[in-house]
Amino acid sequence: MSARKPYIRPVTAGWWLKKAPYRRYMLREATVLPLTFFSLCLLAGLWALTRGPVAWAGWLDFMAQPLVIGLNLLALVGSLFHAATFFLMMPQVMPVKVRGQRLPAMQVAAAQWAITLGISLFCLLVFVFWEGV
Amino acid sequence: MKAIDRHPPRSEEPIWWSLFGAGGSWFAMFTPITVLLLGVLVPLGLLSPDYLNYERVHAFASSWVGTLLILGSIILPLWHAMHRIHHGTHDLKMRLGLAGKVACYGFATLASLLSLWLIMLL
Repeated sequence: MSARKPYIRPVTAGWWLKKAPYRRYMLREATVLPLTFFSLCLLAGLWALTRGPVAWAGWLDFMAQPLVIGLNLLALVGSLFHAATFFLMMPQVMPVKVRGQRLPAMQVAAAQWAITLGISLFCLLVFVFWEGV
Repeated sequence: MKAIDRHPPRSEEPIWWSLFGAGGSWFAMFTPITVLLLGVLVPLGLLSPDYLNYERVHAFASSWVGTLLILGSIILPLWHAMHRIHHGTHDLKMRLGLAGKVACYGFATLASLLSLWLIMLL
């Protein structure tokens, strides 16, 4: 047994309330709550789709409830906030190098925003013009 | 002094972390447009409900593009979310231990299997 008696600083459940960066971190983490709600909405929609037109109409009515629209608006804002942090974090997780030089984080983030824009346009075109493949 | 273990058991964390990463990318790149169209613009009546007509969506979901987009939109973000919730309970000092991990990843597994099964029913 070691004779050391290290002082362990107590950490309470509210530690993240004390500083703005901690609060921002927790807010970022909390973006997954409305995201979970939206994903479960889609799962319910898929279930309704397998049940037939009546269940599908019921799902559309559910999606138009004010509370549901409000939560999905939160999911939209949350997804953009998450994207902003996720794209900036990416070079720390996986450094992007061009000719041996690390690309600046801002450029990596800009490239990812461009990809997001492309994906969004693709989804929008599919949504509006899809007629079967 | 204990000898260094040269063959430690392999961690299973890469599995959860890859799903977390893939889900994070989907959440950032696909979710904004998806939730804008399905969760905001059509429900508010700013886009015609005809876009979400039953036959149209059914045919879309039965195509390979639709299957991939729908499964990706349900499964990947849920894995991302469950990973963050699992670690979030630790941040909030809830000592759930293994039970919390099993609950979070178990929920994501169940939802994934359920959506796979539902899409095959179409």
